[in-house]
Amino acid sequence: MSNLGDMQSLASSISAMTSPFRNYLNDLYEKYKSFNDGAIADYIPELTLAKPEWFGICVVTTDGQMFEVGECDQLFTIQSISKAFVFGLALEDHGREYVNSKVGVEPTGEAFNSIVLDEVTNRPYNPMVNAGAIATTDLIKGNNSTERLKRLLEMFKRYTGRDHEINVPVFLSEKSTGNRNRAMSYLMLNFGMVGDKIEDTLDIYFQQCSIMVNARDLAMMSATLANGGVNPVTQERALDERYVQDVISVMLTCGMYDGSGEWLYRIGIPAKSGVGGGITAVAPGKLGVGTFSPLLDAKGNSLRGIKVCEDLSRDFGLHLFNVAKPDRDLAAWIDGSEGDSW
Amino acid sequence: MPKVVSIHSYRGGTGKSNFTANLATTVALQGYRVGVVDTDLPSPGIHNLFSLELEATDKTLNNYLWGDTPIEETAYDVSANVGVENNGKLYLVPSSFQADDIARILKNGYDVKLMNDGFRRLVKELQLDYLFIDTHPGLSKETFLSIAISHVLILILRPDKQDYQGTAVTIDVARQLKVRKMLLVINKVYKTLNRDALKQKVEETYNEKVAGVFPLSEDLVQLASEGVFCVKYPEHPVSEEFHKVAQQIQEV
Repeated sequence: MSNLGDMQSLASSISAMTSPFRNYLNDLYEKYKSFNDGAIADYIPELTLAKPEWFGICVVTTDGQMFEVGECDQLFTIQSISKAFVFGLALEDHGREYVNSKVGVEPTGEAFNSIVLDEVTNRPYNPMVNAGAIATTDLIKGNNSTERLKRLLEMFKRYTGRDHEINVPVFLSEKSTGNRNRAMSYLMLNFGMVGDKIEDTLDIYFQQCSIMVNARDLAMMSATLANGGVNPVTQERALDERYVQDVISVMLTCGMYDGSGEWLYRIGIPAKSGVGGGITAVAPGKLGVGTFSPLLDAKGNSLRGIKVCEDLSRDFGLHLFNVAKPDRDLAAWIDGSEGDSW
Repeated sequence: MPKVVSIHSYRGGTGKSNFTANLATTVALQGYRVGVVDTDLPSPGIHNLFSLELEATDKTLNNYLWGDTPIEETAYDVSANVGVENNGKLYLVPSSFQADDIARILKNGYDVKLMNDGFRRLVKELQLDYLFIDTHPGLSKETFLSIAISHVLILILRPDKQDYQGTAVTIDVARQLKVRKMLLVINKVYKTLNRDALKQKVEETYNEKVAGVFPLSEDLVQLASEGVFCVKYPEHPVSEEFHKVAQQIQEV
Protein backbone atom coordinates (compact mmCIF):
# COMPACT_ATOMS: atom_id res chain seq x y z
CA MET A 1 0.00 0.00 0.00
CA SER A 2 2.79 2.39 0.86
CA ASN A 3 4.18 2.06 -2.66
CA LEU A 4 0.94 3.17 -4.15
CA GLY A 5 0.87 6.11 -1.75
CA ASP A 6 4.42 7.10 -2.65
CA MET A 7 3.65 6.91 -6.34
CA GLN A 8 0.59 9.07 -5.91
CA SER A 9 2.45 11.59 -3.81
CA LEU A 10 5.32 11.80 -6.29
CA ALA A 11 2.90 12.07 -9.20
CA SER A 12 1.08 14.85 -7.39
CA SER A 13 4.28 16.80 -6.65
CA ILE A 14 5.34 16.45 -10.29
CA SER A 15 1.90 17.59 -11.45
CA ALA A 16 2.24 20.65 -9.21
CA MET A 17 5.62 21.42 -10.80
CA THR A 18 4.30 21.21 -14.33
CA SER A 19 0.73 22.46 -13.98
CA PRO A 20 -0.35 25.50 -15.99
CA PHE A 21 -1.00 27.29 -12.70
CA ARG A 22 2.63 26.96 -11.67
CA ASN A 23 3.71 28.06 -15.14
CA TYR A 24 1.48 31.08 -14.64
CA LEU A 25 3.25 31.83 -11.34
CA ASN A 26 6.60 31.36 -13.04
CA ASP A 27 5.58 33.92 -15.66
CA LEU A 28 4.63 36.33 -12.85
CA TYR A 29 8.04 35.73 -11.30
CA GLU A 30 9.78 36.50 -14.59
CA LYS A 31 7.56 39.52 -15.15
CA TYR A 32 8.31 41.16 -11.80
CA LYS A 33 11.84 39.92 -11.17
CA SER A 34 13.28 42.96 -12.92
CA PHE A 35 10.90 45.31 -11.10
CA ASN A 36 13.35 47.07 -8.81
CA ASP A 37 11.33 49.94 -7.30
CA GLY A 38 11.12 50.33 -3.55
CA ALA A 39 13.65 50.06 -0.76
CA ILE A 40 14.76 47.57 1.86
CA ALA A 41 13.67 48.44 5.41
CA ASP A 42 16.53 50.13 7.24
CA TYR A 43 15.13 51.15 10.61
CA ILE A 44 17.33 48.47 12.12
CA PRO A 45 20.68 47.54 10.55
CA GLU A 46 19.97 43.81 10.54
CA LEU A 47 17.18 44.20 7.99
CA THR A 48 19.48 45.91 5.48
CA LEU A 49 21.32 42.60 5.01
CA ALA A 50 18.47 41.43 2.76
CA LYS A 51 19.25 41.24 -0.95
CA PRO A 52 17.04 43.24 -3.30
CA GLU A 53 16.88 40.42 -5.86
CA TRP A 54 15.32 37.93 -3.42
CA PHE A 55 11.88 37.01 -4.70
CA GLY A 56 9.70 34.01 -3.98
CA ILE A 57 6.06 33.16 -4.66
CA CYS A 58 4.25 30.23 -3.11
CA VAL A 59 0.59 29.23 -3.34
CA VAL A 60 -0.99 26.45 -1.29
CA THR A 61 -4.54 25.36 -2.03
CA THR A 62 -7.02 24.27 0.61
CA ASP A 63 -6.61 20.71 -0.61
CA GLY A 64 -2.90 20.92 0.14
CA GLN A 65 -1.37 21.32 -3.32
CA MET A 66 1.71 23.52 -3.29
CA PHE A 67 3.06 25.65 -6.13
CA GLU A 68 6.28 27.54 -5.72
CA VAL A 69 8.63 29.64 -7.80
CA GLY A 70 11.77 31.58 -6.95
CA GLU A 71 13.36 31.79 -3.54
CA CYS A 72 10.81 29.99 -1.40
CA ASP A 73 13.46 28.61 0.99
CA GLN A 74 15.01 31.97 1.83
CA LEU A 75 14.35 32.82 5.47
CA PHE A 76 13.47 36.29 6.68
CA THR A 77 11.82 37.77 9.77
CA ILE A 78 8.06 37.59 9.90
CA GLN A 79 7.69 41.07 11.45
CA SER A 80 4.12 42.42 11.47
CA ILE A 81 2.67 39.34 9.80
CA SER A 82 2.91 37.71 13.22
CA LYS A 83 0.34 40.17 14.57
CA ALA A 84 -2.62 38.62 12.79
CA PHE A 85 -1.83 35.14 14.04
CA VAL A 86 -1.08 36.18 17.61
CA PHE A 87 -4.46 37.92 17.57
CA GLY A 88 -5.98 34.52 16.80
CA LEU A 89 -4.21 32.94 19.78
CA ALA A 90 -5.36 35.76 22.08
CA LEU A 91 -8.94 35.09 20.96
CA GLU A 92 -8.53 31.41 21.80
CA ASP A 93 -7.09 32.34 25.20
CA HIS A 94 -9.76 34.83 26.22
CA GLY A 95 -12.68 34.85 23.81
CA ARG A 96 -13.92 37.63 21.61
CA GLU A 97 -15.52 39.89 24.18
CA TYR A 98 -12.52 40.23 26.46
CA VAL A 99 -10.02 40.67 23.62
CA ASN A 100 -12.23 43.31 22.04
CA SER A 101 -12.30 45.18 25.35
CA LYS A 102 -8.53 45.55 25.15
CA VAL A 103 -8.03 46.07 21.41
CA GLY A 104 -10.40 47.55 18.85
CA VAL A 105 -10.89 46.42 15.26
CA GLU A 106 -11.14 49.82 13.60
CA PRO A 107 -8.70 50.73 10.82
CA THR A 108 -6.81 53.91 11.65
CA GLY A 109 -5.56 55.22 8.36
CA GLU A 110 -2.47 56.06 10.42
CA ALA A 111 0.97 54.56 10.04
CA PHE A 112 1.71 51.30 11.85
CA ASN A 113 3.83 52.96 14.52
CA SER A 114 1.49 55.83 15.33
CA ILE A 115 0.88 56.61 18.99
CA VAL A 116 -2.89 56.92 19.11
CA LEU A 117 -5.47 55.33 21.35
CA ASP A 118 -9.23 55.63 21.13
CA GLU A 119 -10.08 58.69 23.22
CA VAL A 120 -13.29 57.20 24.60
CA THR A 121 -12.26 53.59 25.31
CA ASN A 122 -8.47 54.09 25.57
CA ARG A 123 -8.04 50.99 23.41
CA PRO A 124 -5.50 50.83 20.63
CA TYR A 125 -7.42 50.95 17.36
CA ASN A 126 -6.70 47.46 16.05
CA PRO A 127 -4.35 44.48 16.52
CA MET A 128 -2.31 45.33 13.42
CA VAL A 129 -0.87 48.68 14.56
CA ASN A 130 2.06 48.29 16.92
CA ALA A 131 0.14 49.47 19.99
CA GLY A 132 -2.66 47.00 19.34
CA ALA A 133 -0.23 44.20 18.61
CA ILE A 134 1.60 44.77 21.89
CA ALA A 135 -1.71 44.79 23.75
CA THR A 136 -2.59 41.54 21.97
CA THR A 137 0.73 39.89 22.83
CA ASP A 138 0.14 40.99 26.41
CA LEU A 139 -2.96 38.75 26.41
CA ILE A 140 -1.09 35.54 25.55
CA LYS A 141 -1.40 33.15 28.47
CA GLY A 142 1.46 31.37 30.20
CA ASN A 143 3.07 31.14 33.64
CA ASN A 144 6.16 33.02 32.55
CA SER A 145 7.59 34.65 29.46
CA THR A 146 9.34 31.47 28.33
CA GLU A 147 6.08 29.58 28.41
CA ARG A 148 4.25 32.37 26.60
CA LEU A 149 6.91 32.51 23.89
CA LYS A 150 6.84 28.74 23.51
CA ARG A 151 3.08 28.85 23.07
CA LEU A 152 3.55 31.37 20.28
CA LEU A 153 6.17 29.24 18.55
CA GLU A 154 3.98 26.13 18.88
CA MET A 155 1.12 28.03 17.32
CA PHE A 156 3.24 29.02 14.31
CA LYS A 157 4.33 25.42 13.99
CA ARG A 158 0.70 24.32 13.76
CA TYR A 159 0.19 26.78 10.89
CA THR A 160 3.36 25.96 8.95
CA GLY A 161 4.03 22.35 9.91
CA ARG A 162 7.62 22.99 10.97
CA ASP A 163 9.70 24.39 13.83
CA HIS A 164 10.65 28.06 13.81
CA GLU A 165 13.63 29.88 15.16
CA ILE A 166 14.07 33.43 16.27
CA ASN A 167 16.65 35.65 14.63
CA VAL A 168 18.49 36.84 17.73
CA PRO A 169 20.39 39.76 16.16
CA VAL A 170 17.11 41.13 14.77
CA PHE A 171 15.41 40.63 18.13
CA LEU A 172 18.20 42.45 19.96
CA SER A 173 18.19 45.29 17.44
CA GLU A 174 14.44 45.67 17.73
CA LYS A 175 14.70 45.63 21.50
CA SER A 176 17.49 48.20 21.67
CA THR A 177 15.82 50.59 19.23
CA GLY A 178 12.26 49.98 20.38
CA ASN A 179 11.75 53.06 22.53
CA ARG A 180 8.74 54.19 20.58
CA ASN A 181 7.05 50.85 21.23
CA ARG A 182 8.15 51.09 24.85
CA ALA A 183 6.57 54.55 25.14
CA MET A 184 3.33 53.29 23.66
CA SER A 185 3.27 50.41 26.10
CA TYR A 186 3.63 52.69 29.08
CA LEU A 187 0.90 54.91 27.72
CA MET A 188 -1.34 51.84 27.52
CA LEU A 189 -0.29 50.80 31.01
CA ASN A 190 -1.31 54.24 32.21
CA PHE A 191 -4.82 53.54 30.87
CA GLY A 192 -4.84 50.01 32.29
CA MET A 193 -4.99 48.40 28.84
CA VAL A 194 -1.97 46.17 29.42
CA GLY A 195 -0.54 44.35 32.42
CA ASP A 196 2.42 45.71 34.31
CA LYS A 197 4.99 43.22 33.02
CA ILE A 198 5.78 45.59 30.19
CA GLU A 199 9.36 44.53 29.54
CA ASP A 200 8.36 40.85 29.45
CA THR A 201 5.59 41.53 26.97
CA LEU A 202 7.83 43.74 24.84
CA ASP A 203 10.48 41.01 24.76
CA ILE A 204 7.91 38.51 23.54
CA TYR A 205 6.59 41.03 21.03
CA PHE A 206 10.08 41.74 19.62
CA GLN A 207 10.77 38.01 19.52
CA GLN A 208 7.52 37.21 17.76
CA CYS A 209 8.46 39.78 15.10
CA SER A 210 11.89 38.14 14.73
CA ILE A 211 10.60 34.64 13.95
CA MET A 212 12.20 33.29 10.79
CA VAL A 213 9.86 32.21 8.00
CA ASN A 214 10.00 31.73 4.24
CA ALA A 215 7.46 32.32 1.47
CA ARG A 216 6.30 28.71 1.73
CA ASP A 217 5.52 29.17 5.44
CA LEU A 218 3.49 32.29 4.68
CA ALA A 219 1.50 30.41 2.04
CA MET A 220 0.86 27.55 4.47
CA MET A 221 -0.29 30.01 7.12
CA SER A 222 -2.79 31.74 4.88
CA ALA A 223 -3.88 28.42 3.34
CA THR A 224 -4.59 27.21 6.88
CA LEU A 225 -6.84 30.22 7.45
CA ALA A 226 -8.43 29.69 4.03
CA ASN A 227 -9.06 26.09 5.06
CA GLY A 228 -11.00 27.03 8.19
CA GLY A 229 -8.04 26.94 10.57
CA VAL A 230 -6.77 23.47 9.65
CA ASN A 231 -3.37 23.10 7.99
CA PRO A 232 -4.26 21.54 4.60
CA VAL A 233 -1.10 19.42 4.49
CA THR A 234 -0.65 18.17 8.07
CA GLN A 235 -4.40 18.33 8.81
CA GLU A 236 -3.57 19.78 12.21
CA ARG A 237 -5.86 22.49 13.58
CA ALA A 238 -4.01 25.76 14.11
CA LEU A 239 -6.91 28.02 15.08
CA ASP A 240 -10.37 27.48 16.55
CA GLU A 241 -12.84 27.54 13.67
CA ARG A 242 -14.88 30.28 15.37
CA TYR A 243 -12.03 32.78 15.25
CA VAL A 244 -10.89 32.30 11.67
CA GLN A 245 -13.28 35.01 10.54
CA ASP A 246 -11.95 37.40 13.19
CA VAL A 247 -8.38 37.05 11.98
CA ILE A 248 -9.30 37.33 8.31
CA SER A 249 -11.52 40.37 9.00
CA VAL A 250 -8.77 42.41 10.63
CA MET A 251 -6.38 41.38 7.88
CA LEU A 252 -8.86 42.71 5.38
CA THR A 253 -9.46 46.05 7.10
CA CYS A 254 -6.04 46.72 8.66
CA GLY A 255 -3.56 44.19 7.28
CA MET A 256 -1.71 46.36 4.80
CA TYR A 257 -0.97 49.23 7.19
CA ASP A 258 -2.38 52.54 5.97
CA GLY A 259 -2.64 51.07 2.45
CA SER A 260 -5.45 48.74 3.52
CA GLY A 261 -8.31 50.63 1.90
CA GLU A 262 -6.70 50.74 -1.49
CA TRP A 263 -5.65 47.10 -1.13
CA LEU A 264 -9.23 46.05 -0.42
CA TYR A 265 -10.51 48.06 -3.36
CA ARG A 266 -7.93 46.93 -5.89
CA ILE A 267 -7.00 43.45 -4.77
CA GLY A 268 -9.60 42.36 -2.25
CA ILE A 269 -7.70 39.39 -0.82
CA PRO A 270 -7.33 39.70 2.97
CA ALA A 271 -3.62 39.97 3.58
CA LYS A 272 -0.94 40.90 6.08
CA SER A 273 2.45 42.29 5.24
CA GLY A 274 5.66 42.67 7.18
CA VAL A 275 8.67 44.95 6.72
CA GLY A 276 10.86 41.86 6.33
CA GLY A 277 9.33 41.67 2.82
CA GLY A 278 6.67 39.03 3.34
CA ILE A 279 2.98 39.09 2.48
CA THR A 280 0.51 36.40 3.41
CA ALA A 281 -2.86 36.56 1.62
CA VAL A 282 -6.00 34.49 2.18
CA ALA A 283 -8.56 33.57 -0.47
CA PRO A 284 -11.09 31.87 1.85
CA GLY A 285 -12.04 28.36 0.82
CA LYS A 286 -9.56 28.46 -2.05
CA LEU A 287 -5.93 29.10 -1.29
CA GLY A 288 -3.23 30.92 0.57
CA VAL A 289 -0.52 33.03 -1.04
CA GLY A 290 2.90 33.73 0.43
CA THR A 291 5.25 36.16 -1.25
CA PHE A 292 8.68 37.39 -0.32
CA SER A 293 10.61 40.31 -1.75
CA PRO A 294 12.26 42.82 0.59
CA LEU A 295 11.80 45.90 -1.62
CA LEU A 296 9.08 47.91 0.14
CA ASP A 297 6.87 50.85 -0.76
CA ALA A 298 6.65 53.92 1.48
CA LYS A 299 3.95 52.24 3.56
CA GLY A 300 6.10 49.21 4.30
CA ASN A 301 4.47 46.73 1.91
CA SER A 302 6.49 44.52 -0.44
CA LEU A 303 6.13 45.98 -3.93
CA ARG A 304 6.64 42.77 -5.91
CA GLY A 305 4.28 41.04 -3.47
CA ILE A 306 1.59 43.62 -4.18
CA LYS A 307 2.04 43.14 -7.93
CA VAL A 308 1.77 39.35 -7.63
CA CYS A 309 -1.39 39.54 -5.51
CA GLU A 310 -2.89 42.10 -7.86
CA ASP A 311 -2.36 39.87 -10.90
CA LEU A 312 -3.58 36.73 -9.12
CA SER A 313 -6.70 38.53 -7.92
CA ARG A 314 -7.53 39.91 -11.35
CA ASP A 315 -6.70 36.84 -13.43
CA PHE A 316 -8.40 34.26 -11.22
CA GLY A 317 -11.18 36.43 -9.78
CA LEU A 318 -9.93 36.12 -6.20
CA HIS A 319 -11.27 39.51 -5.03
CA LEU A 320 -13.64 38.79 -2.13
CA PHE A 321 -16.46 40.69 -3.76
CA ASN A 322 -15.89 39.60 -7.31
CA VAL A 323 -19.02 38.25 -8.96
CA ALA A 324 -17.87 38.41 -12.58
CA LYS A 325 -16.52 35.37 -14.37
CA PRO A 326 -12.72 35.56 -14.15
CA ASP A 327 -10.41 35.31 -17.17
CA ARG A 328 -9.00 32.06 -15.87
CA ASP A 329 -10.66 29.22 -14.00
CA LEU A 330 -8.49 28.39 -11.00
CA ALA A 331 -9.43 24.71 -10.71
CA ALA A 332 -8.91 24.12 -14.44
CA TRP A 333 -5.50 25.80 -14.38
CA ILE A 334 -4.47 23.71 -11.42
CA ASP A 335 -5.60 20.35 -12.83
CA GLY A 336 -4.26 21.22 -16.28
CA SER A 337 -7.54 21.05 -18.21
CA GLU A 338 -6.99 24.71 -19.17
CA GLY A 339 -4.05 26.99 -19.67
CA ASP A 340 -1.50 24.92 -21.57
CA SER A 341 0.84 27.85 -21.96
CA TRP A 342 3.57 26.34 -24.10
CA MET B 1 1.15 25.78 -30.69
CA PRO B 2 4.57 24.39 -29.74
CA LYS B 3 4.74 20.68 -29.00
CA VAL B 4 6.93 18.96 -26.46
CA VAL B 5 7.94 15.41 -27.29
CA SER B 6 9.78 13.22 -24.77
CA ILE B 7 11.62 10.14 -25.91
CA HIS B 8 12.09 7.58 -23.22
CA SER B 9 12.88 3.94 -22.61
CA TYR B 10 12.85 1.94 -19.44
CA ARG B 11 16.23 0.37 -20.12
CA GLY B 12 19.38 1.66 -21.76
CA GLY B 13 20.63 0.63 -25.17
CA THR B 14 17.29 0.88 -26.93
CA GLY B 15 18.65 3.42 -29.40
CA LYS B 16 16.93 6.38 -27.80
CA SER B 17 19.46 9.06 -28.72
CA ASN B 18 19.76 7.82 -32.29
CA PHE B 19 16.01 7.75 -32.61
CA THR B 20 15.68 11.25 -31.13
CA ALA B 21 18.34 12.68 -33.44
CA ASN B 22 16.73 11.18 -36.52
CA LEU B 23 13.19 12.15 -35.61
CA ALA B 24 14.16 15.72 -34.68
CA THR B 25 16.14 16.10 -37.89
CA THR B 26 13.28 14.69 -39.97
CA VAL B 27 10.93 17.30 -38.50
CA ALA B 28 13.45 20.15 -38.90
CA LEU B 29 14.03 19.19 -42.54
CA GLN B 30 10.31 19.78 -43.10
CA GLY B 31 10.89 23.45 -42.25
CA TYR B 32 10.09 23.51 -38.52
CA ARG B 33 12.05 25.15 -35.73
CA VAL B 34 13.17 22.27 -33.56
CA GLY B 35 15.02 22.04 -30.26
CA VAL B 36 16.60 18.94 -28.74
CA VAL B 37 17.55 18.80 -25.07
CA ASP B 38 19.83 16.09 -23.77
CA THR B 39 18.53 15.55 -20.24
CA ASP B 40 20.57 12.39 -19.90
CA LEU B 41 22.84 14.16 -17.41
CA PRO B 42 24.58 11.02 -16.08
CA SER B 43 25.40 9.67 -19.54
CA PRO B 44 25.08 12.30 -22.27
CA GLY B 45 25.79 11.39 -25.87
CA ILE B 46 23.44 12.85 -28.45
CA HIS B 47 25.83 15.74 -29.26
CA ASN B 48 28.04 13.25 -31.17
CA LEU B 49 25.26 12.50 -33.63
CA PHE B 50 24.86 16.17 -34.42
CA SER B 51 28.65 16.56 -34.81
CA LEU B 52 28.75 19.09 -32.00
CA GLU B 53 32.23 19.17 -30.51
CA LEU B 54 31.62 19.54 -26.80
CA GLU B 55 35.18 20.74 -26.34
CA ALA B 56 34.15 23.80 -28.30
CA THR B 57 31.06 24.47 -26.19
CA ASP B 58 31.55 26.32 -22.96
CA LYS B 59 27.95 26.17 -21.78
CA THR B 60 25.74 23.13 -21.29
CA LEU B 61 22.44 22.24 -19.65
CA ASN B 62 24.43 21.73 -16.45
CA ASN B 63 25.33 25.43 -16.34
CA TYR B 64 21.68 26.36 -16.63
CA LEU B 65 20.70 23.97 -13.82
CA TRP B 66 23.37 25.48 -11.60
CA GLY B 67 21.97 28.94 -12.22
CA ASP B 68 25.05 30.17 -14.10
CA THR B 69 23.36 31.03 -17.36
CA PRO B 70 19.97 31.39 -19.05
CA ILE B 71 18.99 28.22 -20.88
CA GLU B 72 18.86 29.82 -24.32
CA GLU B 73 22.59 30.47 -24.07
CA THR B 74 23.22 26.73 -23.77
CA ALA B 75 21.49 26.03 -27.11
CA TYR B 76 23.68 25.47 -30.17
CA ASP B 77 22.48 25.85 -33.73
CA VAL B 78 23.40 22.55 -35.38
CA SER B 79 21.21 23.06 -38.47
CA ALA B 80 24.20 23.26 -40.82
CA ASN B 81 25.72 20.07 -39.37
CA VAL B 82 22.75 18.03 -40.52
CA GLY B 83 21.85 19.94 -43.66
CA VAL B 84 18.78 21.74 -42.33
CA GLU B 85 18.26 24.82 -44.47
CA ASN B 86 15.72 27.53 -45.27
CA ASN B 87 13.06 28.01 -42.60
CA GLY B 88 13.96 24.94 -40.60
CA LYS B 89 16.23 25.18 -37.58
CA LEU B 90 17.74 22.59 -35.31
CA TYR B 91 19.10 23.57 -31.90
CA LEU B 92 20.78 21.27 -29.41
CA VAL B 93 21.12 21.81 -25.67
CA PRO B 94 23.85 19.35 -24.69
CA SER B 95 24.70 18.02 -21.24
CA SER B 96 28.25 18.21 -20.03
CA PHE B 97 30.36 15.13 -20.46
CA GLN B 98 33.07 16.36 -18.07
CA ALA B 99 33.47 13.87 -15.22
CA ASP B 100 33.51 16.69 -12.67
CA ASP B 101 30.27 18.15 -13.97
CA ILE B 102 28.52 14.79 -13.97
CA ALA B 103 29.79 14.11 -10.46
CA ARG B 104 28.46 17.47 -9.30
CA ILE B 105 25.00 16.68 -10.65
CA LEU B 106 25.02 13.23 -9.06
CA LYS B 107 26.30 14.52 -5.75
CA ASN B 108 24.23 17.65 -5.29
CA GLY B 109 21.25 16.94 -7.52
CA TYR B 110 19.37 19.97 -8.82
CA ASP B 111 15.95 21.53 -8.60
CA VAL B 112 13.83 19.51 -11.05
CA LYS B 113 11.43 22.46 -11.36
CA LEU B 114 14.18 24.25 -13.26
CA MET B 115 13.82 21.73 -16.10
CA ASN B 116 10.18 22.69 -16.54
CA ASP B 117 10.90 26.43 -16.40
CA GLY B 118 13.93 26.10 -18.67
CA PHE B 119 12.07 24.13 -21.34
CA ARG B 120 9.32 26.72 -21.46
CA ARG B 121 11.80 29.54 -21.73
CA LEU B 122 13.71 27.74 -24.45
CA VAL B 123 10.56 27.23 -26.51
CA LYS B 124 9.70 30.93 -26.17
CA GLU B 125 13.15 32.40 -26.72
CA LEU B 126 13.98 30.24 -29.75
CA GLN B 127 10.38 30.29 -31.02
CA LEU B 128 10.37 26.54 -31.34
CA ASP B 129 7.66 24.52 -33.03
CA TYR B 130 8.93 21.30 -31.46
CA LEU B 131 10.98 20.47 -28.44
CA PHE B 132 12.40 16.95 -28.22
CA ILE B 133 13.61 15.72 -24.85
CA ASP B 134 16.12 12.89 -24.85
CA THR B 135 15.87 11.33 -21.39
CA HIS B 136 17.96 9.15 -19.13
CA PRO B 137 16.67 5.56 -19.15
CA GLY B 138 14.66 4.26 -16.22
CA LEU B 139 12.39 6.09 -13.88
CA SER B 140 13.54 9.15 -11.97
CA LYS B 141 12.16 12.52 -10.96
CA GLU B 142 13.33 14.10 -14.21
CA THR B 143 11.71 11.28 -16.19
CA PHE B 144 8.45 11.88 -14.38
CA LEU B 145 8.74 15.57 -15.08
CA SER B 146 9.44 15.16 -18.78
CA ILE B 147 6.54 12.71 -19.05
CA ALA B 148 4.23 15.14 -17.28
CA ILE B 149 5.06 18.12 -19.49
CA SER B 150 5.02 16.27 -22.79
CA HIS B 151 2.33 16.62 -25.39
CA VAL B 152 3.61 13.36 -26.79
CA LEU B 153 5.54 10.66 -24.98
CA ILE B 154 7.40 8.20 -27.17
CA LEU B 155 8.42 4.98 -25.44
CA ILE B 156 11.04 2.88 -27.19
CA LEU B 157 11.24 -0.83 -26.53
CA ARG B 158 13.03 -3.81 -27.99
CA PRO B 159 11.18 -7.05 -28.51
CA ASP B 160 12.49 -8.81 -25.40
CA LYS B 161 11.03 -9.73 -22.06
CA GLN B 162 12.91 -7.20 -19.92
CA ASP B 163 11.85 -4.33 -22.14
CA TYR B 164 8.25 -5.59 -22.14
CA GLN B 165 8.08 -5.57 -18.35
CA GLY B 166 9.84 -2.24 -17.96
CA THR B 167 7.61 -0.63 -20.55
CA ALA B 168 4.54 -1.84 -18.68
CA VAL B 169 5.79 -0.09 -15.55
CA THR B 170 6.58 3.10 -17.47
CA ILE B 171 3.16 3.14 -19.13
CA ASP B 172 1.55 2.73 -15.74
CA VAL B 173 3.49 5.72 -14.42
CA ALA B 174 2.73 7.77 -17.52
CA ARG B 175 -0.99 7.15 -17.09
CA GLN B 176 -0.82 8.20 -13.45
CA LEU B 177 0.89 11.38 -14.60
CA LYS B 178 -2.01 11.88 -17.02
CA VAL B 179 0.22 11.93 -20.09
CA ARG B 180 -1.61 13.50 -23.01
CA LYS B 181 -0.53 11.18 -25.81
CA MET B 182 1.62 8.08 -25.77
CA LEU B 183 3.22 6.38 -28.77
CA LEU B 184 5.28 3.21 -28.72
CA VAL B 185 8.23 2.53 -30.98
CA ILE B 186 9.75 -0.92 -31.37
CA ASN B 187 13.42 -0.82 -32.20
CA LYS B 188 16.07 -3.41 -33.06
CA VAL B 189 13.63 -5.89 -34.51
CA TYR B 190 15.17 -8.99 -36.12
CA LYS B 191 14.47 -9.29 -39.79
CA THR B 192 13.08 -12.78 -39.24
CA LEU B 193 10.24 -11.45 -37.08
CA ASN B 194 6.88 -10.64 -38.62
CA ARG B 195 6.69 -6.88 -38.10
CA ASP B 196 2.95 -6.55 -38.49
CA ALA B 197 2.25 -9.37 -36.06
CA LEU B 198 4.72 -7.87 -33.58
CA LYS B 199 3.13 -4.46 -33.88
CA GLN B 200 -0.32 -5.90 -33.29
CA LYS B 201 0.83 -7.91 -30.32
CA VAL B 202 2.48 -4.91 -28.65
CA GLU B 203 -0.55 -2.71 -29.28
CA GLU B 204 -2.82 -5.34 -27.75
CA THR B 205 -0.53 -5.85 -24.76
CA TYR B 206 -0.37 -2.20 -23.78
CA ASN B 207 -3.48 -0.82 -25.41
CA GLU B 208 -1.37 1.97 -26.90
CA LYS B 209 -0.49 2.76 -30.50
CA VAL B 210 2.78 1.63 -32.09
CA ALA B 211 4.05 4.54 -34.20
CA GLY B 212 6.95 2.77 -35.85
CA VAL B 213 8.91 -0.47 -36.09
CA PHE B 214 12.64 -0.27 -36.77
CA PRO B 215 14.91 -3.12 -37.80
CA LEU B 216 18.11 -4.37 -36.26
CA SER B 217 20.91 -4.63 -38.75
CA GLU B 218 24.66 -4.33 -38.55
CA ASP B 219 24.73 -2.01 -41.54
CA LEU B 220 22.37 0.32 -39.81
CA VAL B 221 24.33 0.39 -36.59
CA GLN B 222 27.50 1.18 -38.48
CA LEU B 223 25.92 3.86 -40.63
CA ALA B 224 24.07 5.40 -37.71
CA SER B 225 27.16 5.95 -35.61
CA GLU B 226 28.52 8.29 -38.28
CA GLY B 227 25.81 10.89 -37.87
CA VAL B 228 22.14 11.30 -38.50
CA PHE B 229 21.08 8.36 -40.62
CA CYS B 230 18.05 9.87 -42.32
CA VAL B 231 20.14 12.76 -43.64
CA LYS B 232 22.62 10.45 -45.30
CA TYR B 233 20.14 7.92 -46.62
CA PRO B 234 16.88 9.80 -47.14
CA GLU B 235 15.43 7.13 -49.42
CA HIS B 236 16.14 4.23 -47.08
CA PRO B 237 13.04 2.42 -45.66
CA VAL B 238 14.24 3.36 -42.16
CA SER B 239 14.15 7.04 -43.08
CA GLU B 240 10.62 6.53 -44.39
CA GLU B 241 9.65 4.98 -41.09
CA PHE B 242 10.89 8.16 -39.34
CA HIS B 243 8.66 10.18 -41.67
CA LYS B 244 5.70 8.10 -40.54
CA VAL B 245 6.48 8.69 -36.88
CA ALA B 246 6.97 12.42 -37.52
CA GLN B 247 3.59 12.59 -39.19
CA GLN B 248 1.89 10.96 -36.22
CA ILE B 249 3.45 13.52 -33.90
CA GLN B 250 2.26 16.34 -36.08
CA GLU B 251 -1.27 14.94 -36.06
CA VAL B 252 -1.48 15.05 -32.24
